[in-house]
Amino acid sequence: MKQTQILPSSAWAFLIWLIVMTLVPFSIILGMSFLERTELGTILFSFSFKNYQQLFDWVYLKVLLKTVWLALMATLSCLAVGFPVAYYLARVQGPMKSLGLILLFIPFWTNFILRIYGIVSLFGSNGILNQLLSAVGLPKASILYTRWGVYVGLVYNYLPFLVVPIYSSLEKLDPFLREAAADLGAARFQTFRKVILPNIKEGVFIGSLFVFIPMLGEYVIPDLLGGAKEAFLGKVMVEQFFILQDWPLGSAIATMLSVLLLGALWLQNRWASKNQNGAKEVSSAV
Amino acid sequence: MRFRNPLVTFMFWTAICLLYLPLIYLVFQAFLENPNDWRGGFTLRWLIKLFDSPALWEPLLNSVEIGVLSATLAVSLGTLGAVGLSNISSFLPPLIQTLILLPILVPEVITGLSLLLFFLLCRFDLGFLTVVVAHASFSASFVYFIMVEQLRKLDPQMNEAAQDLGAKPTEVFWKVTLPNIIPGLMGGWLLAFTLSFDDFLISFFTSGAGLTTLPLKIYSLMRIGVSPELNGLSFVMVCISTCLVLMLVSKEQSRKWVLKG
Repeated sequence: MKQTQILPSSAWAFLIWLIVMTLVPFSIILGMSFLERTELGTILFSFSFKNYQQLFDWVYLKVLLKTVWLALMATLSCLAVGFPVAYYLARVQGPMKSLGLILLFIPFWTNFILRIYGIVSLFGSNGILNQLLSAVGLPKASILYTRWGVYVGLVYNYLPFLVVPIYSSLEKLDPFLREAAADLGAARFQTFRKVILPNIKEGVFIGSLFVFIPMLGEYVIPDLLGGAKEAFLGKVMVEQFFILQDWPLGSAIATMLSVLLLGALWLQNRWASKNQNGAKEVSSAV
Repeated sequence: MRFRNPLVTFMFWTAICLLYLPLIYLVFQAFLENPNDWRGGFTLRWLIKLFDSPALWEPLLNSVEIGVLSATLAVSLGTLGAVGLSNISSFLPPLIQTLILLPILVPEVITGLSLLLFFLLCRFDLGFLTVVVAHASFSASFVYFIMVEQLRKLDPQMNEAAQDLGAKPTEVFWKVTLPNIIPGLMGGWLLAFTLSFDDFLISFFTSGAGLTTLPLKIYSLMRIGVSPELNGLSFVMVCISTCLVLMLVSKEQSRKWVLKG
């Protein structure tokens, strides 16, 4: 294996870069979350769980529950819209497949702020929706700067990140499963419910987690599409840094979200290795 | 077996149309005489005015400079990592795998905040350089995965042959490996540039007060309200982003990455 040793030292440049630019900043956040802020806004170097306890104060708990509820609704809506999209892409053959995938992704590789601005232009008080409504004599719909604005923004911006995991779980399914079910007399819906769904449920669940958790930390969408009154966890977190000058509390929220994400990653790896072992057992049995 | 399910097909195309609606309307809006009323007629006035104003050129130039520098930095680092680790990338300890994945996985808000704290505690002046470094900090991981893929496709016997013919490891890299991975390098660079050019949040946190990139400019105008200037800038940005995406998609090896990103 001598050829694997070509420039092994080069990897160190990359790894040191990652340590300095990723691990150290995250460790600062982690460390900061255990510090305290004094009344004057300076940071007190004493170890405590006070910030985490503070998150369960009614003020923050209310924000947390509201955010979880909104993100949950948005994730479920993404599932409802994304599932048929992923199903179509997984089943269709030929040039439509790659065209469909590209069509799905182009909007998400244009700028994020522009997508938000597009939503503002559509739903704003002078947006096309309200211009059309007033043209036919209906009252204006105020979606923007309410929680519905945040909801629309979340669903729109996270949709493809849920389509991809569903799509790849469906692609991994053995096509013969469907045929076998049909041969055994299952109707199309029965095949879907009893054969396809049980086989992809883990992938769909993990995909949903990876959409749901980042949604909780979203800052720009609630900032630009929700009103000033709409409290949202990610917005509260950023405000701790920029407005309220409570870095330790903001860091505690960031740490909590990161831990949730790492938990989801761990779950994904565990299920992936379990499935691999399962596949090995099957193939060795054959 | 051809897939025929009219309901699913219909839902797919409806979703696609809804996804494009806001962007198409943005482009359309840039040509309106009165941005608040679509019945007012069309004009090129706003766009022509925009090209004479510093409101466009300064942020655009900043965005391009930051993109070029951070993409070059990310490609250098990511490629170094991939060259060193590609052969053992599937056997890496989970800790290192997670470390490489972290910048891709963690939401931008948290990356941005952690980098902000890091820069402040190190007493770096926020500005051009911190934004370049911050952008490279997350795009290097994307480049790494592209280059690992690219290096896997290479014939390992080529390196062995070069070594048998007496090439030193550094010579093997510069004369054999590097010329063979140039397409991947270009794809990785383009991806890193696009990530940097389109980035809002990380720039927002790490740019300090003085520096404006194009997305930051659009954000600050958006907070004021709809204006012809904002519509014009959005139009310019949509055009550049779309061109970048089409260039990326047209490269076969990056197609997969468009999906995973």
